[in-house]
This record gives sequence, structure tokens and C-alpha cells, in this order.
Amino acid sequence: MKGLLLKDFYLSWRYCRAFLVIVAVFLAVSFTGDDNIFFLIYPIMIASVIPMTLVSYDEHDKWTAYSGTLPYTRAQLVSTKYLVGMCFGSVAFLISMAATTVRMILGGGFVLEQFAVVGTALLVLGCLGPALILPYVFKYGAEKGRVAFYITVGVFSGVAAVLAGMGFQIQGLSSGLWPLAAVAGVSILLYALSWWLSIRFYQKREL
Amino acid sequence: MNALEIRNLTKDYGEFTLDNLNLTLPCGCIMGLIGENGAGKSTTIKLILDMIHRDEGTITLLGRDNREDMLLTKQDIGVVLDEVGIPSCLSAVQVGKIMAHTYTKWDKELYAQYLKKLNLPEKRPFKEYSKGMKMKLGIAVALSHHPKLLILDEATSGLDPVVRDEVVEMFSEFTRDESHAVLISSHIVSDLEKICDYIAFLHKGKLMLCEEKDRLLEEYGLIHCSKEQLSELDAQAVRGVKASPYGVEALVRRDGVPAGMQVSSVSIEELFIFMVKEAA
Repeated sequence: MKGLLLKDFYLSWRYCRAFLVIVAVFLAVSFTGDDNIFFLIYPIMIASVIPMTLVSYDEHDKWTAYSGTLPYTRAQLVSTKYLVGMCFGSVAFLISMAATTVRMILGGGFVLEQFAVVGTALLVLGCLGPALILPYVFKYGAEKGRVAFYITVGVFSGVAAVLAGMGFQIQGLSSGLWPLAAVAGVSILLYALSWWLSIRFYQKREL
Repeated sequence: MNALEIRNLTKDYGEFTLDNLNLTLPCGCIMGLIGENGAGKSTTIKLILDMIHRDEGTITLLGRDNREDMLLTKQDIGVVLDEVGIPSCLSAVQVGKIMAHTYTKWDKELYAQYLKKLNLPEKRPFKEYSKGMKMKLGIAVALSHHPKLLILDEATSGLDPVVRDEVVEMFSEFTRDESHAVLISSHIVSDLEKICDYIAFLHKGKLMLCEEKDRLLEEYGLIHCSKEQLSELDAQAVRGVKASPYGVEALVRRDGVPAGMQVSSVSIEELFIFMVKEAA
């Protein structure tokens, strides 16, 4: 599996190095004002699309078929993308958390609860994107998978809008670290579930 | 030992069916899988490599079922697909590093020798290679882990005659070792005619024949005669007919025509075309 990881890191370096500049710019912008929190979460959003980007390049280069001839299991082929996602996600997470800490210190003081909220939000963002899209991609391929993902998001958004219109409300997270830990745990669980599901789908897929 | 045994292999796509395929490739031999576009050559190769799921039948590769221990078996197989499949941004050196972590028997020195022999630039990205260079890199990768079986899907298509000759020579060299074998598919029959020991004809998902090449060339021949002369021949001996205003050209079994009748030799390409047209 080392070969697969090495290949994906070569590709990431070649195709995703521009992201580094974007991340640096966005982090710098996040320090320019109080309302620029979006720029802080941008690195993790970028990291979360890297596995999907790699699958698209694999399909374009016909690597998807070629990898089926190499001595790797389908589970290894899928797992590589999740591991690459975790590596880049972790780096982005650490960068953003470090920036958050600096921001807090410069802004008047470190507040643990606020730090935990940002951390949880980043974790949720980092896990949910790939967790939702990758099973579609491994089942239908990059192009069709992306379309299927957008349809699902559209349907969910529609249902949420209808429910909101009917008066449903999700209670905000009460203060304290436990609810945040629960949300983080669920996100990680979803990532793991997505991983398992992608392996199941890919084992049935014809290359 | 046989490098490859296929028994009753069937794959049904609805609009196309690979139907009850039986093939045996002994070690030390090269088998050419010949067929028109869409005949089922790539489907057969994908089934052999377990890239697609079969509906029926069994496949034995190097003595092992292709669904059991496939990782182990793939360590002994070199594959070149028609589109190679190497990521376009990678250089030959990077590909070598990836494969060193992929194949347990990867031979770094041998790979470097192939790159040199085939004049492949080590640091140029794959996307900047010509079609011939891309194929040659695919072949270098396929050969550099000491495989016992080479599986090549249209590996010579799109190559210029000089490169084709070079590549075909490499395959011949590979099978000088008695434990090695090659399965090569192509619709360019002339390439296969040069190097193959066995020829398998696929047409519309069905195996028309699978024979030793020399035996095929001994068994079959071409006759040029009139329609009347043709009608006097045993119908079983005639395998294909091409009529023109000047007479008839027919593919015949040599043992089915009367002694004294002039039978000229037939090429594998002619044999294939006659049989396909007869089946149509």
C-alpha cells in the first residue's frame, strides 16, 4: 500500500501545491478582522476535496483500470484515498487550530470553550465532505458520483427547508464540552462508516 | 504447467456476451488473442485479472484460481493495457519508486536498464511522452519485477512499425525462458503472426478457434478456382469464400481438397478475415 500512498502524494504535490498558497493567503486574511472566521476554516475545506480531486485525476489518466492489474486489494485502493484525506485533513486542522489560538491570544485571551467550538466545527467540516461524497465516487465514478452527491445534498437541503417551514427547530448546542465531543465523535464515526461503505461499493465495481 | 487455463468462461452484458470461452496457454508460449474491435478481447483480459466479475466459468493463473490469492498471483504477472494508465504527471523515476513499493520482486537495476535500452527519458513527465514511449514505459514496468506471465491488451496498437518491431522482439525474448508465457491481444494480426505460438480467434464474444499457429498454417490454405470447381468440393472442407467476377478465392482445409489441386499458403490475417466473414 506504500506504493499507492507514494503515488497519491506525488499527485497531490503536483496538482494541489497551489492550495498551499491559497491556504497561506486565507490564513493571513483571517487575521485582518473579527468577521473573517470563514478564512480560518478554508484550509480544512480545501483538504477535504483532495481525495475527490485525486480520484478524478486517476480516472482521467486511466489509473483506475491500471491499478486493478497491480497487486493491491480493492480495500487498499479505497483506503489510500481515506488515509490521504486524513493526512491532509490533519495538517489543515492543526494549521487552523494554531491560527485560532494565535487569533484568540492576540484578541484578548484564550477561551477553551470557544477553542473547542472552532475545533469541532473544523472536524465536522473535514470529515463530512469526504464522508458524504466518496462512497458515491467509488460507486459511480468521479463524474457521476459528484452529480449523485449534489442531488443528495439538494434533497437534504429541500427536506430541511420544508421542515424549517413547518416549524421544526434543532436545539443549539448547550454550553459545555460534552456535546461538542459527541458531535466530533459522530463526525469521525461517519468518516469510518463512509470508508467501510466505499470499500463495499468498490469491491462490486467493474474496473 | 499451464500459465493460463480458462474453462467455460461467460460474461453477459446484455447487449454483448462473452460466451463459454475455453483457452489454455502453456508455459513457454505466446498466445495471440485476435478479434475485431468489440469481439471480447479486453473483456477476457479484465476477467482474467478479476477486474470485472464473471457470470460462469473458472480461470486458473499460474496454477492458482484467479479469485484466490490474487495478490500473490499478480506479483508474478506483468500487465500492459492499451491506455497504459500511468499518471500523466509522473516521471519514469517516480513510477519506479512507486513500483518498488508495489512489487516484492521489483528490480531497480533491471528497470534502469530497460529505460536506457528503450531510450526513455527518466525525468520527463509521462504526459510529454509520445504514444510509443508511453507504451514502452508500460512494458518496462511490466517486465521489471520478473513476471512469469505477461498480459498485453492491444499493447502494439498505435505504435509505429519500428517501435512495434522492437516491442515484439522483447516479448519473444521474454518467452525464451520456459517458465514464462505471454497473452497478447490485438486486432493487428500481422504483429501476432510474427511471434505467437498459439492463436485464438474471438468473434462477437465467441471463440472461433484456438490452435497452434504452425498447425493452423499447415491445416488451411487458399484455392483460386471457378464457382463450378468450388461446388464439387466437400462443403466441410470449405471454411470461407470470397467471390469476384474473375472467380472464387476460398479458404479450405488442405485434407479436404482433392490431391493435385493447387493450394497456396494462407496468412493468419487472411484466415481470420475469411472466418469472420463466413461467420457473419
